[in-house]
Amino acid sequence: MSATLEKGVRVLKEVIDAPIASYFNSCVHCGLCAEACLFYTETGDPKYTPIHKLEPLRRVYEQEYTLLGRLKKMVGLSKAVTDEELDSWQELVYNSCTLCGRCSAVCPVGNDIVYMVRKFREGMSASGHAPEGIKGAVNRTITIGSPMGVKLPAVQAQMKHVEEDYGLPIPLDAEGAEYMVMLSSMEIINFPEYLGAIAKIMNQAGKTWTLCSTAFEATNAGMQIGNSDLARVLVARIVEGAEKLKVKTVISPECGHAYTALRWEGANLIGRPFSFEVKHIIEVLGEFQEQGLLKTEGFETDKLTFHDPCQLARRGGVIKQQRNLMNQVAKNFVEMPDAGYMNWCCGGGGGASAIEEGEELRIEAFKKKKSQLDAVKPDRLVTACANCRIVLEEGLEHYQMDIPVIGLTEMIAEHIPDKGA
Amino acid sequence: MAISNDKEFKAALAALPAARQRQVAARFVERVYPLSNDVRIKAALDLASRADISDAELTVVAQAANTARVESFTQCGRETDWNAQAGHFVAKAAVACVKPAEAGDNLAWDAAMQARMARTCQTVAEGSGTENREAEEQYRILEAFLNS
Repeated sequence: MSATLEKGVRVLKEVIDAPIASYFNSCVHCGLCAEACLFYTETGDPKYTPIHKLEPLRRVYEQEYTLLGRLKKMVGLSKAVTDEELDSWQELVYNSCTLCGRCSAVCPVGNDIVYMVRKFREGMSASGHAPEGIKGAVNRTITIGSPMGVKLPAVQAQMKHVEEDYGLPIPLDAEGAEYMVMLSSMEIINFPEYLGAIAKIMNQAGKTWTLCSTAFEATNAGMQIGNSDLARVLVARIVEGAEKLKVKTVISPECGHAYTALRWEGANLIGRPFSFEVKHIIEVLGEFQEQGLLKTEGFETDKLTFHDPCQLARRGGVIKQQRNLMNQVAKNFVEMPDAGYMNWCCGGGGGASAIEEGEELRIEAFKKKKSQLDAVKPDRLVTACANCRIVLEEGLEHYQMDIPVIGLTEMIAEHIPDKGA
Repeated sequence: MAISNDKEFKAALAALPAARQRQVAARFVERVYPLSNDVRIKAALDLASRADISDAELTVVAQAANTARVESFTQCGRETDWNAQAGHFVAKAAVACVKPAEAGDNLAWDAAMQARMARTCQTVAEGSGTENREAEEQYRILEAFLNS
């Protein structure tokens, strides 16, 4: 057994906790999780059945923690996990799983399959079987501070552009501000208009806010690859920045997994409660709306629909706010089938979009989103995740569907009159 | 007319009808076009520069330019190639030149902003900081356009 495999198997043994043990014992092999996974529904290949993606982990559990499994291992009836096997499982654990959580939502015995995949990734990562694309993102996160290699001067350049474009200041390191706004690399690189929208909205709402020079990056490559130690370091960086600036609330950007990493796993990762609140930008906009701080003018009149990012809606429970926001500025907002809690993933979450060799499969899986869109034939598609946005645009382009994709925060900001800015 | 800041620049652009906005926008983007060299973008700029464009022609080049924009996105988690990212913003600027115009749109301003982004990406790629004089160059282009 190689040293890395030994390490990986040791980690797999360590991550098997009481919930995972009970999940393996509870599985009734009903196959409902397969029907909930877009990689199965769109390919028909049974290897993409979510619970099957965990087979090496199940065997480790059986061989290490059950009497029957130990006996089977002893007499050679149960094979040990090998490097070759884990290597072949990479496609199942990373390329064809976006951690969307739809499988967990449908499991009739309540197995949290996505939790198990997340834990399995810890062992895959430790044994060196994570995809090169995600490894690269992790290395850049460690050496540069950003999975896409974005440094502070690039952020400052975008800040300057946005200040020119919107005529509003972008505060940096403003101590005592109410809100600390996080960005994902995607917003810095591809969608700097998100930052302009924030400036406009905060200005109208009369709220103080700031970016943090030591913690502008919200994404968490540690969570995607399955490395809790790294995930902890990245969360700690944000906590340190927020506490240094004494902010009341940290706003997670339009980025799905960044929200999950900070809001739902963050405090557990660092082992103590935060001294500030964490909210997704859509939650903050929802609050502004309820408080009458979001004064918009005019309506979009074309047919709009909304793609719910999995981490926000299904795993974060934020469903109502985006609909209320849509209805504030859109006259013709229609829902896709399965919208909201059971929405189908774009196909690129959980690090999948960073995996080049997974592109073909992603495009195949996009047929699910295509069928949702075909059912309502919208003029435009709105979402609240920068990664979803690009994956959607690529899928739409591939299938030659002329449906522009826009961010909800930007759309709201476009309806805020300039005189309020 | 002398233009010395973004407020004057934006107002002057907003006062132009859509067809004229496309023409001057194309001039802004032509300055950064070498950062892309995508023939679909060149076709969009050539068309936007003309005074006699039909809606059908616009639709065709807008679709092609949009494809160039989508193809040049940096995917989440991948290493940023700032030269390629400059090309993405050139594509985005070209889309602004040829997209359908709605009342109140300032296409030329949008194109100018994206062209500045492209230039900044180029300077980041070169390691020469993020400062550049693209805005001032755009003021001069607009002055010349208005005086022509």
